[in-house]
Amino acid sequence: MREVIAGRFVGSSVRRVEDRRLLSGKGRYVDDLIFPEMLHAAFVRSPHPHATIRSVDVTAARALPGVVGVLTGTDMIEISNPYVGMTTLAGLYEPAFYSLATDRVRYVGDPIAVVIARSRRLAEDGVEAVVVEYELLDAIATVGQALDGSRPAIWPKAKGNVVYRTSRNYGPVDEAFADADRVVSQRFRQHRQSNQPMETRGIVVEVSAGGATTVHSTTQSAHLLKWVLSLLSDRQSIPTSLKMLASNRERPKRFASAAKAFMANKPDLVAANKASTPVMLKQLRADPKRGVAMQRSLLALLAKEPGTRPEVRTGDIGGAFGTKSVVSREEVAVYIAARKLGRTVKWIEDRNEHLLGGGHARDEYMDMQFAFSHNGILLGIRADFTLDAGAYPAMPFSPAMMAEIIRTLLPGPYRVPALGYNATVVASNKGTVVPYRGPWAIETWARERMWDTAARELGINRAEIRRRNMFRADELPRPMITGPMLDVRMSARRTLDEALRIAGYDNWAEEQQAARANGRILGLGFATFIEPAPGPPDFFSHVLPGFASIMTESTYVALDPDGSVSVFTPQIPHGQGHETTLAQVAADQLGVPMETIRVRYGDTKVTPFSILGTGGSRSAPMAGGSVTFASRDLRDRILDISADLLEAAREDLTIDAGRIHVQGVPSISIGFETVAAEALRRGSDAPNGEAIRAIKEYDGGAGGWSQATHVCWVEIDLETGMVAIPRYVVVEDCGELINPAIVDGQVRGGVAQGIGAVLYERIAYDDAAQFQSGTFMDYLIPTAMEIPDIEIHHLETPSNIEANYRGVGEGGMIAAPAALTNAIEDALNHLGVRITEQHLPPARILTLAGVLPTG
Amino acid sequence: MDRSNNQNLRLTLNGRVVETDVLSSRTLAEFLREEQGLTGTHLGCEHGICGACTVLVDGRPARACLMLAVQADGATVETVESLGTGSELGPIQQAMWDSHAFQCAFCAPGFLMTTKALLASNPSPTRAEIREELAGNLCRCTGYGSIIAGIEAAIASAKEASRA
Repeated sequence: MREVIAGRFVGSSVRRVEDRRLLSGKGRYVDDLIFPEMLHAAFVRSPHPHATIRSVDVTAARALPGVVGVLTGTDMIEISNPYVGMTTLAGLYEPAFYSLATDRVRYVGDPIAVVIARSRRLAEDGVEAVVVEYELLDAIATVGQALDGSRPAIWPKAKGNVVYRTSRNYGPVDEAFADADRVVSQRFRQHRQSNQPMETRGIVVEVSAGGATTVHSTTQSAHLLKWVLSLLSDRQSIPTSLKMLASNRERPKRFASAAKAFMANKPDLVAANKASTPVMLKQLRADPKRGVAMQRSLLALLAKEPGTRPEVRTGDIGGAFGTKSVVSREEVAVYIAARKLGRTVKWIEDRNEHLLGGGHARDEYMDMQFAFSHNGILLGIRADFTLDAGAYPAMPFSPAMMAEIIRTLLPGPYRVPALGYNATVVASNKGTVVPYRGPWAIETWARERMWDTAARELGINRAEIRRRNMFRADELPRPMITGPMLDVRMSARRTLDEALRIAGYDNWAEEQQAARANGRILGLGFATFIEPAPGPPDFFSHVLPGFASIMTESTYVALDPDGSVSVFTPQIPHGQGHETTLAQVAADQLGVPMETIRVRYGDTKVTPFSILGTGGSRSAPMAGGSVTFASRDLRDRILDISADLLEAAREDLTIDAGRIHVQGVPSISIGFETVAAEALRRGSDAPNGEAIRAIKEYDGGAGGWSQATHVCWVEIDLETGMVAIPRYVVVEDCGELINPAIVDGQVRGGVAQGIGAVLYERIAYDDAAQFQSGTFMDYLIPTAMEIPDIEIHHLETPSNIEANYRGVGEGGMIAAPAALTNAIEDALNHLGVRITEQHLPPARILTLAGVLPTG
Repeated sequence: MDRSNNQNLRLTLNGRVVETDVLSSRTLAEFLREEQGLTGTHLGCEHGICGACTVLVDGRPARACLMLAVQADGATVETVESLGTGSELGPIQQAMWDSHAFQCAFCAPGFLMTTKALLASNPSPTRAEIREELAGNLCRCTGYGSIIAGIEAAIASAKEASRA
């Protein structure tokens, strides 16, 4: 295999560094950790969707041999802090809740007590012995029920079961609709899905003899987990915290100056904070108890010794797709229990638990209206979005944020002169909605379905109506009506044209007719999207004011005494291959073989801070850029020292395969270890005995968009309702590829999840909110039999921007449901079938086609 | 410790004879992971669907999560740890590595063992046969294309080796 093109690692499908260990069964996933005297946790969970808890009796469980401790919600009130939400938005209700249910259960699976025992089976025996008395309440299973005022509010202090409402208008919306020759309307439903990585969540809280705590976790964001655990554990009264702060004035001072330094270069964050203060005060006034809880936990965090906080470590992680970016209540409960008992405790979620409450996604409606002129030019959009977020908001990513991201991205690569957007988030007695690969994907699905709907209603070809409304390259740069800039590299139009050319779309109608004459039902669908991966530098401030400035990415690159190089990244790889790709980037910058680079990640003790860790298709653009510029800084400093050692002008030096020499004179060279020795001789202020450390906080530079057009072919069997996918084409532009095989893998994996979502997967509840998807026999993950070969074509818009890497993690999943459902509607169009619900298993296909009766 | 629920177990595990007492309720997966330190065998669903725990019992793929350890008495059991020699990857692992077959690789041990069984019984399967054989193993990351490519690479290199 050719691994290096023209002396560069970037651009080559370098085999993965991590694979030797993973393919040998020597990976270290969290369940592989065993500590002496380790205890195991299991949870008592609610079998009811909605009920008040009358009593929890743990006497029998505590008496069982092998059971070491049992904690309930009542214990949690005494020893821990409630989660109170961290998003300040007008119109948002953020409830306060503990890691274990206290007075009420809110979904099937709601954790009520945690049993800690010598083994997992003994802990599960303990769970069986806990007796809970419930008083049942009417449940909220659907958006309709959530909006029905006669049903009980899941959060009594909220206004009914609506937890967020917002409304925004851009441009002359009413005029657009008044002037329209045609208005096309449709309501779309995207069902509840779930990430379901092959490894569930897991945590081992390692408590050492001195009480120091190390948390081994499957988290996508080690620092986030560390701070959420710190905030929610070890309840301490406000007077105690104030006393501690008074007796050690240095700590609050240090904190204040650190906070000041952090805010100093973030003026938009300061402004946003100022603007949101009245909203926050209003929220606190509405729920004073929540305000007190918030102050108590923040003051305690400030007052306590930093040594009381845990350090978080991650090892190998078996996938996540967003679900491990949030902190689960179970993880918090296990952490608190381990600290209370002073013992190391392991909890590995089982698949049933992961299906119940490990993270659900989507469960949305989008009502859309497109106003058109007679020739199919879009004049404006009205969009009404509803999200069923389940009972408990994800920590700390509020579902309200999802509504705001969807608002921002809704126009996509199209000219949208006016946009009216309403969003409603409701609570229901269902599992928590978490980010799942392309969390905002309904903007693309609904929009791309609308183009097909409009094309049919207006009698314009599907490709033509998109081309009339999609930005051409010569119109860029130009901002979306929602704010973010579409720069000159936004090449959605090119991906569309190229994809349709590759697909032979011009001949499609004839092909389809000919097949139909032979009794075969074929369809072709396509969809185009853009993705902020990372988006323009201010992208996130269009979502939430001030947010962009906390989304930067830092990297440390260190020269070690032995001449090797360590890259410290806040990324938490869980399948993306960062040990390989980030080493490729650093090796190219430094002129060293990849073996010289060691990528260090997943340890809050040593890695740079980041809220996000790995997520949102940000690894390649943000970490790729940050590693590029940090490595370049290190290179400069290595060359400075080398110039002295080689007695040569710095600009005459080059680094080649790890040796530094004057250009053209490779015979006289020095290695990195020589430079390291000299740096240490001169005196290094770097930590851990490093010779030199370079640090770079990167804001995403020029940013930019990732984009693609997907084309999907289907053949439908109306005897069985089965949808086969004979061909699938992706034409994408994510800028420069670091490792093409890894990019292709991300694209294929995303498409597979999109296909699964449409044809197989659904998290099901009945009308009383009872859970119905408890095993992999109910929640159907597609196998190698269902996922077709996927053809991928890469485009790269020429640019002289450095580190022109853009993300591809989300994209496959964003576009695939749109391309596939468009194909299915195309196939069944002659039967008058209209696809408005995304889940299309065989029975649904047969019903739509009139083969099975409705209902 | 109460040993009344223990049974004697003798099996050939990755080429070496193991004789021990084991709790009769212990699954084969628990026995391998917790008592033999063979953590390469992963538990993804513990109800026999995902296939991450696939090991070979007398040459046939078996779900280590659904099988009791004592059921392997007298059998030959092979796990992912048996596929290489020392620090060297075996031919199937090497082909998977070359093909970027896996991402998070939590499912990989199961796929590797299924592949070993497939190629032992059918050294040159068609792509359709490969897909069918793999249908008992779930992967959530890759969309399977790279795993199929890995198997086809393993087939090609085996053919080359047999010609040489």
